[in-house]
Amino acid sequence: MRLICLLSLIATLSGCYQNKTLTQNTLIYCTDSQPTSFNPQISDDIASLDATTHQLFSRLVKIDPNTNEFIPDLATSWQQSEDKLRYRFTLRENVSFHQTDYFTPSRYFNADDVLFSFNRMFDHQHPYHIINNKTVNYFYNHPFTELLSSINKIDDHTVEFVLSKPDVTLLANLAAHYAVIHSAEYAEQLMTQGQPEQIDFKPIGTGPFSFKSYDSNGTIRYQKNQQYWHSLGNIDDLIFFTNPSATKRYAKLLSGECDAISYPAASQLETISQNKNISLNSKSTANISLLAFNTKAEKVAAPQIRRALAKAIDTETILQAVYFQSATQTDTLLSKQSWALKPRFNETLFNPEQAKKELITAQYDFSQTLQIVLPDGANVFNPNFHKTAELIQANLLAIGVQSKIVSVNDNGLQEHLNRGDYDMYLTGINVHIKDPDSIFRPLLSCHSTPETGNTSYWCDAKTQALLDKSLTESNFAQRIRNYYQIQDQIQEQRPYLPIAHVLRLDAIAKTILNVEVNPLTGINFQNAIKQDLN
Amino acid sequence: MLSFLIRRLNLLVITAFILTILAFAIDRTILIHHQTKAPIAQDYILQYFAYLWDLLSANIGHSALNHQPLLQRGLTFFASTLELCFVALLFSSIIAIPLGLLAGLFRNTKLDYAIMTIAIIGLALPVFWVGVMAGLLPSVWGDILPVDGNMSLVYDVPVVTGFLLIDTLFVTPQYGLFAFFDRVAHLILPAAVLSFFLIAEIVRLTRHSMTMVMRSNYIQTAYAKGFSRTKIVFVHALNNALPPIIPQLRLQLSTILSFAMTIEIVFNLNGIGTWLYNSLKSGDYHALPAGMLIITGFILIFSIAIEIMMVIISPIRRGSLYAN
Repeated sequence: MRLICLLSLIATLSGCYQNKTLTQNTLIYCTDSQPTSFNPQISDDIASLDATTHQLFSRLVKIDPNTNEFIPDLATSWQQSEDKLRYRFTLRENVSFHQTDYFTPSRYFNADDVLFSFNRMFDHQHPYHIINNKTVNYFYNHPFTELLSSINKIDDHTVEFVLSKPDVTLLANLAAHYAVIHSAEYAEQLMTQGQPEQIDFKPIGTGPFSFKSYDSNGTIRYQKNQQYWHSLGNIDDLIFFTNPSATKRYAKLLSGECDAISYPAASQLETISQNKNISLNSKSTANISLLAFNTKAEKVAAPQIRRALAKAIDTETILQAVYFQSATQTDTLLSKQSWALKPRFNETLFNPEQAKKELITAQYDFSQTLQIVLPDGANVFNPNFHKTAELIQANLLAIGVQSKIVSVNDNGLQEHLNRGDYDMYLTGINVHIKDPDSIFRPLLSCHSTPETGNTSYWCDAKTQALLDKSLTESNFAQRIRNYYQIQDQIQEQRPYLPIAHVLRLDAIAKTILNVEVNPLTGINFQNAIKQDLN
Repeated sequence: MLSFLIRRLNLLVITAFILTILAFAIDRTILIHHQTKAPIAQDYILQYFAYLWDLLSANIGHSALNHQPLLQRGLTFFASTLELCFVALLFSSIIAIPLGLLAGLFRNTKLDYAIMTIAIIGLALPVFWVGVMAGLLPSVWGDILPVDGNMSLVYDVPVVTGFLLIDTLFVTPQYGLFAFFDRVAHLILPAAVLSFFLIAEIVRLTRHSMTMVMRSNYIQTAYAKGFSRTKIVFVHALNNALPPIIPQLRLQLSTILSFAMTIEIVFNLNGIGTWLYNSLKSGDYHALPAGMLIITGFILIFSIAIEIMMVIISPIRRGSLYAN
């Protein structure tokens, strides 16, 4: 009897706890990790980009997702000077910054805001340059230091970018995630209030949604920007919610508590693709999952040993067992679409017998135990680090090499890496612009630390010279040749073994339309429409 | 009366003193562990008093991650845990007390065996396992109950008391009662799982207490007077069978709280269990002494409150009021 009462109570409650009119204009996106800040200029992890670039900010130009051409965003038009050194941008008028409970703009967007946004990154003397810029952040000022010599204000709605040398990548850089426009007025207000660091955590932009709140449990709330200058979808409230468990995210997508989820579990992709109410969005990226050999560690210091070990590892099995359909196999660091990709090295990599022979010739000591370090849990580079490590361990054992798996949790990881106390490390790297330098420099430069990507402790004068030369190289063919040489070197020295190029995956309920996913700059809910549930 | 209160409070002060020393020790261990330079030799006793002064002015430090005051955040999360415990207690009392009374009345009959078997199974099942299993239920029934989170994200409920069931009532102008119902729906499964253990415990205690009462002389006298069984049970037995259960339940308080913290992690509720778990995972170790102080402080104050209440409602215990 009590059970019947209880069940009928539950049924009544469940009938009324979901309020359709409220959920109609609210979109909930469940992500796997929390953003590190709300400014894509200083944070380049996928979660931060998703939470900021397209939602909160606008850029001067953007790339049309269909035609891949540059189209106006906050700049309405632009002209290039005869000598190809000056770009003059005409700015859009009557564009308002977000009005929130912590900032009310007194003027429309103008040239001062453009100058502020770029000078913060570009000018080392700028008062905001050092704010929240704790380490020498390579990505922070790299793109513009080489590129620009100055930015000038012509009048309130015209700015001029002066290049240090003719370079066609200016527009691409202006369309990248780090070229978002901040409010100079808001920055001044924060400076007078004495809390300039808030600019990256309580953001003001001109984007389709304004920031409302962020609590440390991982819920970010956005509100529709009523003053947005461009068309909008019907979403009034946008909510990001962080839940690291892919299974829980999927369960919430099924129960309607999430409208879209990032990175569904690789092992569930097949089930998800069969669900009629969910569409699976996959985009190929240049993000790569890799195994770093610590070139400073005694046991794998010799290149021939690293080459041999790499030959023993069967990446195809890893792909099938760990990634399912969430990644594509690769044996190069660069993605297949990159212009700098060296067409092909002919040898097939996986060859355990050869590997064993080479190890014997290199006089490898089979009695020692290699240490494979990995982060515990999973992230976007690897759905299951431990399983991957176990497969590698089994591969190595097949040729008689002993190894030990050490998984380190997030807060001990950085320290562990800095100590350099490992032989191999399972990791991955994000790539943000389609330039080979953006992947080679963090991985191979002497100035890059394990923290910024160089987990193999690779430092080689020749590689460094090639890297630096290629950046300033004006002859494109020569630049390509330089990158070919770098790839030859990687092949030869084997500081890294590429495992897979990971796909960007989002599962979105069929009721949500027009969500755009850009693998480089993040997800875009600007035009999203939620259809009637009935 | 006064001397009784002083005696009780004395106990509270001594225990609290030991607890603060413990919290202080943990806090210093964390500090020393995180210091890169060699720690400066300082007087620990002076440091302890400074720490105590901070505690008294309700300041137990800030989170290393987001610089929010730990006490305030910890209490907000703890309120959510308490809410879960309270709902579960209410729910299990409604079910378990009648069952326990029946089992006690019909001791060693088939009914008694049936009830006790169910209770013992409830006691034997590991609570996190029941949680995981219960999480699967809605998908069997067709998704009518939420299994994850404190409440739907659609509702933006500002923290007033920390008790979401109350806070949702403050936002009725905006959402009507939907936010409240949503919270109730999110509580049903975790509270039911927590009740599993509680029901078993309460049934056992009530049964025992009822048996004891039914065996006592005054009940025998009542029978001898020729009263009907119904009258004896409702007028004489119940009044005396229920009060002894309360101090027994008090002893279970810490078990209930730790079960609630486990269940929170299973159901992803924002309670003190999840808070501590996440803080430790992300290296914010200062949450540990803060959480310890909040939980133990609550248990301490609550047990003393129960004891005082017992003295007020139960004549047998009232004797201790006048003891010297």
